[in-house]
Amino acid sequence: MSSKRPASPVKKKVASGAQASGPSSALKGYFSNHLKVSKLSFKEQTDRPVATLLTCSVIGIALVLPTLLMILLSNIHAANFDWDGSAQITLFLEQKVTSKEAVELTRKLENRVDVSRIEFLDKDKALDDFKTQFQLESVVDFLDQNPLPHALLVTPSSTLKGVPAIEQLMQQLEALPEVESGLLDALWIQRLKSITSFLERVVVLIALMLALAVLLILGNTIRLAIENRKEEIAVLKLVGGTRPFVCRPFLYMGMLYGLGGSLIAVILTHIVLAILYAPIEALALSYQSNFNLKGLGFDSTLLLIVFGTALGWLGAWLAVRRHLDEIEPT
Amino acid sequence: MLQFSTVDKRYPDGHEALKQVSFSLERGEMAFLTGHSGAGKSTLLKLIMLMERATRGQVIVGGQNLSAIHRRQIPYFRRHVGVVFQNHRLLFDRSVYDNVALPLEVAGSNPREIGKRVRAALDKVGLLSKEKLTPIQLSGGEQQRIGIARAVVNKPPLLLADEPTGNLDPALSQEIMKLFADFNRVGVTVLIASHDLELISQMPYRVIELNQGRIVDPGYSD
Repeated sequence: MSSKRPASPVKKKVASGAQASGPSSALKGYFSNHLKVSKLSFKEQTDRPVATLLTCSVIGIALVLPTLLMILLSNIHAANFDWDGSAQITLFLEQKVTSKEAVELTRKLENRVDVSRIEFLDKDKALDDFKTQFQLESVVDFLDQNPLPHALLVTPSSTLKGVPAIEQLMQQLEALPEVESGLLDALWIQRLKSITSFLERVVVLIALMLALAVLLILGNTIRLAIENRKEEIAVLKLVGGTRPFVCRPFLYMGMLYGLGGSLIAVILTHIVLAILYAPIEALALSYQSNFNLKGLGFDSTLLLIVFGTALGWLGAWLAVRRHLDEIEPT
Repeated sequence: MLQFSTVDKRYPDGHEALKQVSFSLERGEMAFLTGHSGAGKSTLLKLIMLMERATRGQVIVGGQNLSAIHRRQIPYFRRHVGVVFQNHRLLFDRSVYDNVALPLEVAGSNPREIGKRVRAALDKVGLLSKEKLTPIQLSGGEQQRIGIARAVVNKPPLLLADEPTGNLDPALSQEIMKLFADFNRVGVTVLIASHDLELISQMPYRVIELNQGRIVDPGYSD
């Protein structure tokens, strides 16, 4: 039956052998193996659609929560940026300053580059407003003299970024001889900032925990896959498969799970945002804000997919590291 | 090609599988390794494949001292040794072609080269027409021949077989042995562990006999 001679004489030295071909052909073999393995992993996963979809969904759901929180944060940041410009400094002038002097001061301050707008509040007008607004005519009439000082409402230039810069401006204005004291209407901005930085930490912590959960889920899935292919792994090791070669299908499997999971996360995020859009719009309107909900942009989508895929790879790598060496041919 | 010098193998459970084993096999030689089950035949082959390491003594394959081979280098070493198993260890979830192609794929050969060599190997064992089938569709003898094709596809200078005819009837066994003799004739060094003394006695090759981990008859050389 097979007395035929082999195609070429068998190599006699152990040192030479299978790799008689040049480096370019070896590279070709390497890439063709990557292509083949990735296709096989993909096929293997699509052959079991329900199990694969379940695993991907678990990963997707785990990725959605931190993604939504990130979106929330970036929206707060964007809104914050607008509000920085609306911070106002109220300057109360000394009692002895007259209307005329106050108007002069107003003109002088208007020329400053770090002031965008300035409004003079006359103390008599302020008292009238006070009377009408709070219906305290009798009380006010009882006073023999207007206790209110003249005031200036200063809107800092939008080139001033952040509360510290505005505070610095206020200190400079307070140093003027006509000014008795100043009041910065920025406390609430500061509070919002602390809340935001607290939220940032919460998001990072939640994201870390969920990433860990994704790693555990994937690790377990890959561990089962390794268990199912024990014999194959043993045979590959016997015929001279290197560690990277034997690992490769499992790493691709992890990456594909991660990719699938992050695609599901992208879809879920869009669904959640679509559901939330109307109520947020209504809320913004009630504050007379032209606030616009920023969704998942192209960059973030790409980032999410890359991150999910990398996480899948990492989970598989951890599982492979732990379990592959245990399988030795016997 | 192959040299054992006072090799001991003791397993972690205390079992001494090989004691003071010394023998050598010339390049291009073919020999049988016999003995009762448990005599140490499989252990001896495992030492050559680096599936186990010698407790004492030296194993030299093709001029390489195996104790000097690092764990990471084992795959590269194994590419130069073909092995045939009693239960052939084929993968049933892929085709005959893919099974035979494995040693070339792990070595990173390019696809065209793989195609050529796989068909040459299948042709040699007379199963070229079955490349698209899966091993489960083949008979026991055919499966073993696929196992042999896989072992020789990358043209290793050394071919090992562990009870390659263990599950086959005498006629098929003879065919398989003839196949090994064919490979030997073109220069491959062949070492076959077998307890089928009747079959072995019909063939004109050296017989190394093991008993309780010791070589009791080294055959004609040494």
